[in-house]
Amino acid sequence: MLLEKAISDVKESFQEAILDVTEFSGERSIHIKCDRILDILSFFKEAGFEFLADLTAVDNLTLGGFERFAVVYHLLSHESVERVTVKAYLPEEKPTLRSVESLWKTADWQEREVYDLYGITFESHPNMTRILNPDTFDGHPLRKDYPRRGRIERSDFPLVKRGIRKEDETP
Amino acid sequence: MSRVTFEPLETDSMLLNFGPQHPATHGTLRIILELEGETITGSTPEIGYLHSGFEKLGEDLDYNQYITITDRMNYLSPLCNNVAYALTAEKLIGLEVSKRTEYIRVLMCELSRIADHLLNVGMLAVDLGAMTAFLYGFRVREDIYDLFEAATGTRLTTSYTLVGGLIRDIPKGFDKEVLRVLEEVDEVTDDIETLLNKNKIWLDRTKEIGVISKEDVYSYGISGPMARAAGIEWDLRLKEPYSSYEDFDFDLVIALNGDVFDRYLVRMEEIRQSIKICRQALEKMPEGEVNVDPDLGFSLPSKDEVYNSIEGLIYHFLLYRQ
Amino acid sequence: MNHDDVKSNVLTTTLESAINWGRKNSLWPMPFGTACCGIEFMAVLAARTDISRFGAEAIRFSPRQSDLLIVAGRISIKMMPVLIRIYEQMPEPKWVISMGACASSGGVFDTYSVIQGVDQFIPVDVYIPGCPPRPEGVVESLLKIQDLVDKEKLSDYALSDTK
Repeated sequence: MLLEKAISDVKESFQEAILDVTEFSGERSIHIKCDRILDILSFFKEAGFEFLADLTAVDNLTLGGFERFAVVYHLLSHESVERVTVKAYLPEEKPTLRSVESLWKTADWQEREVYDLYGITFESHPNMTRILNPDTFDGHPLRKDYPRRGRIERSDFPLVKRGIRKEDETP
Repeated sequence: MSRVTFEPLETDSMLLNFGPQHPATHGTLRIILELEGETITGSTPEIGYLHSGFEKLGEDLDYNQYITITDRMNYLSPLCNNVAYALTAEKLIGLEVSKRTEYIRVLMCELSRIADHLLNVGMLAVDLGAMTAFLYGFRVREDIYDLFEAATGTRLTTSYTLVGGLIRDIPKGFDKEVLRVLEEVDEVTDDIETLLNKNKIWLDRTKEIGVISKEDVYSYGISGPMARAAGIEWDLRLKEPYSSYEDFDFDLVIALNGDVFDRYLVRMEEIRQSIKICRQALEKMPEGEVNVDPDLGFSLPSKDEVYNSIEGLIYHFLLYRQ
Repeated sequence: MNHDDVKSNVLTTTLESAINWGRKNSLWPMPFGTACCGIEFMAVLAARTDISRFGAEAIRFSPRQSDLLIVAGRISIKMMPVLIRIYEQMPEPKWVISMGACASSGGVFDTYSVIQGVDQFIPVDVYIPGCPPRPEGVVESLLKIQDLVDKEKLSDYALSDTK
């Protein structure tokens, strides 16, 4: 229906940007190079996939793939009840791509989350700052080379003692 | 006597920090508000005060171990999360679970939905000063908790599903208890609506407040009762039925205005639809096993076999060692 | 007034135990509920395990008005400075309950962003095990706090230079 037509149209119009089109247990994915992301997503939005269900990222450090990082967009069409996944691959040296905040407002926070956890930056994003971790946080915790237990951030607080604190004491 | 003159006062907008620890946030949200008198003219929300690293935790756990973590993602209705996670893992593996499992999952999900909506409406009422609705809601919530405890062993962190089935079957006599609780939920839903639907204070503070338009739904990616209250005809259970939802007869609930009052109405009506689904699930509950065949290697052999035959015991250990 | 009247109408006690008796039966908790335990704490307030039977139903969300801090739920690294600030804003004497596994030890969340027990940074009086604890557990911990309040010495709260 909508999906087949959209995929074949995208294949035709953006031939040079498409790396692969795959299907896994009924879920279609399009793997693309990162530079045409905004055009391809606006194309899908016009084709009826007007709901951005999720925006996330993958670190392919140990998995292998076209590049180390991939930003994943899950699109949904309410009319034809079909879903499509767009994966934009980014090189490790320069993890940057265009923001899609102009298409969906929800991308604002989700892109900030991807930036916070993976260190992928988005061009022309209105407010590219950390969202979940404190601003002083060092590193990007969902990268596969970041230790699960963190570095020292979770034990780096002042100790508050029992009883009344005197004026000259600092906690 | 000197005449008093009223000169217009110099006014200025004010910044107010709201949260992250505030009774009305019910959790950990911080909003920096810009106020013009009593009118909010701007707000900057800040989140991340409950960031726990769920995804990072998943790096070290296997599929079944991670189910315990899914409980704690949505602590208002943990069973829904258990089911959603199990469905995902099963789709990845390509497992098909038995009809009975699917029906029990539907029953549990709908009970969770009732508990979730009751808390939601109850807390909204508390914030507007109507403690009674909260207390009414919590009374049946406790009864639903009792049902979960009977089936899963705990009140809140249920971890009820497994990849390929359930931890255990529902206990004997569970259906009678559920029907009794559903009766009460029905009554309480009516009571809450009687308390609130025509209450002047309630109407003044919910009608045309926080309006979400259809365009906003698409732009901000809003789903669930929030989207349905804005008039979007989208319910995953009807449009993309999973876990045998296609077997049940229930209605899509929508409202048109997208304000707080409509969201409340949608939630109350969804409680009624959930009661309907629960009753149907109990009525049509198929017989059978709740776990997939142990030979597939995803569920454990029955305890009877493990303790009474050496092959069963070896297989049990083999599964754990893999 | 004869001797018998005095006996049946007058109660002698120390000032300390009278104050402690008053305090322990009217604790004003400040729930610092962040996650699952916060929901169970709501259940403690509701009809079935009605905490007002123990005189602690006056929930105060302002730290300046409360004397019992209930840390319910996991505390992330972004939240910890807020918690320390709230603890310091509470007037003495004050008590702290660490409710549930996450607040007491980090629980299942052994990750970069969750504090592995709030007792690393603020003093805790009573720990409640469980993930989340049952409402009965919270009531039990409240009784434990009442025992602690009973043993308070007024002299502990005199400023050190007036001692």
